[in-house]
Amino acid sequence: MASKKLLNLFQLRFGLRAKLLLLSSFLFVIPWFGYQYVWEMEKYLRFGQEQTLVGTARALATALHERSNLFNNQASFLPNVEQGKDLYGYQLTEAIQLDGLHSDWPNFSQRAYFYDRQQQLFASEPLTLNFKSSVGKYDKYLYLFFQVVDNNVSFRGKNSRSITNNDHLALSFSDQNNHLNRFIISNKQAGWISAFSITDNPDDSPKPAPHVQGHWLLTSQGYNVELRVPLNNLGDNIAFAFYDVDQPDGEIVSAIGSAEPSKLDSLGTILVPSPEIERIVKGMRYTNSSIWVVDQHHRVLASAGSLKSASGVWSNKEKQLTENEKSSLWYLFKQQILLPLYYKVLTKPPADFIDKLYDARHLKGEHIVSALAGNAKSQWRLTTDKQALVLSAAYPIYINNKVQGAVIVEETTNGIRTLRNRALEKLFTVILAIMLLGALTFIIFATRISSRIRRLSNQAEQAIDKQGRIIGKMSASNTNDEIGDLSRSFTTAVNQLSEYNHYLENMSSRLSHELRTPIAVVKTSLENLALQEQQHLVSNEASDQNAYINRAQTGINTLNLILTNMSEATRLEQMLATTEKIKFDLQKVVCSCIAGYQQVYSDYTFNLATKLSKIEYQGSAEHIVQLLDKVINNAVEFSQDKAISVELKQQSNHVELLISNNGVLLPEQLSESLFDSMVSLRSACSIKNKQQDQPHLGLGLYIARLICQFHQGKISAENHHSPDGVTIKIVLPTKV
Amino acid sequence: MTKRIAIVEDEAAIRENYADVLRSQGYQVQTYANRETATQAFNLRLPNLVILDIGLNEEYDGGFVLCQQLRAKSASLPIIFLTARDNDFDTVSGLRIGADDYLTKDISLPHLTARISALFRRQEAFKQPVSDEHITQTGPLSLDSQRMTITWHSKSIDLTITEFWLVHALAKHPGHVKNRTQLMTDSKIYVDDSTITSHIKRIRKKFIKTDDNFDCIETVYGMGYRWLSDMDSTISHG
Repeated sequence: MASKKLLNLFQLRFGLRAKLLLLSSFLFVIPWFGYQYVWEMEKYLRFGQEQTLVGTARALATALHERSNLFNNQASFLPNVEQGKDLYGYQLTEAIQLDGLHSDWPNFSQRAYFYDRQQQLFASEPLTLNFKSSVGKYDKYLYLFFQVVDNNVSFRGKNSRSITNNDHLALSFSDQNNHLNRFIISNKQAGWISAFSITDNPDDSPKPAPHVQGHWLLTSQGYNVELRVPLNNLGDNIAFAFYDVDQPDGEIVSAIGSAEPSKLDSLGTILVPSPEIERIVKGMRYTNSSIWVVDQHHRVLASAGSLKSASGVWSNKEKQLTENEKSSLWYLFKQQILLPLYYKVLTKPPADFIDKLYDARHLKGEHIVSALAGNAKSQWRLTTDKQALVLSAAYPIYINNKVQGAVIVEETTNGIRTLRNRALEKLFTVILAIMLLGALTFIIFATRISSRIRRLSNQAEQAIDKQGRIIGKMSASNTNDEIGDLSRSFTTAVNQLSEYNHYLENMSSRLSHELRTPIAVVKTSLENLALQEQQHLVSNEASDQNAYINRAQTGINTLNLILTNMSEATRLEQMLATTEKIKFDLQKVVCSCIAGYQQVYSDYTFNLATKLSKIEYQGSAEHIVQLLDKVINNAVEFSQDKAISVELKQQSNHVELLISNNGVLLPEQLSESLFDSMVSLRSACSIKNKQQDQPHLGLGLYIARLICQFHQGKISAENHHSPDGVTIKIVLPTKV
Repeated sequence: MTKRIAIVEDEAAIRENYADVLRSQGYQVQTYANRETATQAFNLRLPNLVILDIGLNEEYDGGFVLCQQLRAKSASLPIIFLTARDNDFDTVSGLRIGADDYLTKDISLPHLTARISALFRRQEAFKQPVSDEHITQTGPLSLDSQRMTITWHSKSIDLTITEFWLVHALAKHPGHVKNRTQLMTDSKIYVDDSTITSHIKRIRKKFIKTDDNFDCIETVYGMGYRWLSDMDSTISHG
């Protein structure tokens, strides 16, 4: 039961407007479709970017093919490289101040290589020495930095001729002509270094080498040495070693270094970014890409561009807005409301991201491995902080049909993402506008339609009352559409029904009118006959033949009465139309009427219950009396105990008159239609009714209803029980 | 001299029935079935009394038209409408255009002849000097039962025969309540209750036309009406 009610409620709520809104929700497919389209577009753009990137890599690789001289002095020919021995000179971006401090070395702690027991050259005592070193290249110099940990720092004696009986650094490199150049840095005190050039011959006295410059700084753990060597005479091979002396003017106790510096063969290699390749690569830096050239040991030979500015060919600079545009209302609205909303869904490509995948010296990655194996490859990867998507393409460089290196070109997808975002912003704005407009239109349309239909249904409900009577007229709509048609056909139907109803209600009157003339003919003829008969009687003193005439006259009189009663309702309607309402005392009228009825129906007892002394009422007293006549007459006829009670009550805005009699109950289905024209109960319960001389057409209560309607009142009949009976309730509004 | 009565009625049976009864009463009766023949005859010579039906054949208002024409010819010619139409509107219209009485066809023939003779009597009475024996005086009201005229504060009130009989029945016994049946018997009509109500209303209006303060006919709701003479109007209220 309750669930059914709920269902009903639900069905009620789900009106036309809701249905239209539900249907219009299919509009949401459009933004989804647009979104999908933009994603698809991005996919193609990415594909395009990938192709472009591979093209860039290929172009650069083409420029580098078969130029062996570029790679010769880059130690690229080595079959393998040994960490610590084969050195890599980082490309420094700023000049280094030779002060023994590593603060101006970028990323020193990561780039420095730690030398200890592994790189021990010899030791006569347990090792008390280790150091970190870093190599860098700036302008025309190769910079070296050493951070040495030593338990006992011993400088060269003030008057000592020997440069090796103290803590010293041996540095050797090959020159352009592949001759070994050997230097010893041996200081008498901290400060500017004293470098000496030595030869293989121990008899040759060391010569000062002023082109090797640097600084010796004492630290709490040992000492730092920072020095530079001009690049112009620097070959591919290099080695350095620290010699530890613990006693002043003592013997060397141990040595650690990158390689044995005394022989050309034992030197390690040094790789510095090649200025020639860099020059070629620089030409490509306008492609908005980050470019690397690596040798076959994954070591960077040259690089150009930065990943942060490498957002691809699709990144075009945002159009600068004028002040006017910036202060426009639309711009402000877009910036402050729309964009924050959009970026709840979209992600802005980060301008600042961190990518630590590539050590500046050593590049790793599947694509590089693949390229060095001879296959060009591109791949997508995330930056190490997972903020940006990077597209990398690697292309092999061939020298003598052998892969000697690879070109790696990288770009972020930020350009595409920005482009996509801008497209989506526009799409969202347009869709938002369309949907707002569409929804508004839909709502207005649906509201209009549903309100029209509701108005129509209200009109229809108001035109026909519960008993199916037409109580008002409908006004037809002029709109030329389906609802207008509906309204018009409704109106026609209601009007026709109303006319038909009126026809039915007037039928008795029409009938009586039509019957009146023939009855008058019969009546006058009978009367003439009677007169003649009387004259005969006077002259002949004869028989009782006139008995038939008397019977016929009685019958015709009854017939006449019926006709008069039949047209009574119509006459009343006509009279009511011209009746004016005047003020009178309803209480007095009812009281005197009841007194009158007491006289007329002397067998019956009338009980009038009223607490009021005076009721001012605006209406027609005669008709109220007529109404009472009809209702009381009805009550008297149906009363079984010959007692009728009348109750008059005044409510806030209406007067209630209750007339009850005890007797037969009303059948349920008739209680509503009892007040209709020509509806009578008497046939059903006329067994006890002796007054058959009075014709009953069922017009009495219909007349009562007409009078009630004239006073904007209501009349209804209800059964009451113990004792059984019927109460007629008349409600007359006092305030209209 | 025999009175000549003209009956204009489209229904032959009724027409002849009326004619017969009137002839038996000693009147000379001429019957007409439509307006044209009636008009032609009336142009030649006017009868002493005319009984008219309103609807004549196709003419819905033929009787009214005829009544107007007759009234234009003679102001004193008694005209009675005898019709099947019993609505208030037709009654009012008929009386307004100058008919002396408006009767419905359910009136019995004796009632009709009584009315006709009353009309003739009234006509005769006008030719004779006013005799006091027929005059009843009740307060400001004086009734001349011979001439069937009523004056109120010495001003004449123009009433139809039916109305005169009603007032007469009420004023004969001031203070007594007359119920509708009694009134109908006295005024020789048989109609339903609401017709009595509208008759009383019309009478009141006619009195009020000459005297705004007229309230001598009291409705006793549920019973009937009574005439209040000035003196007992105050008493009977209490």
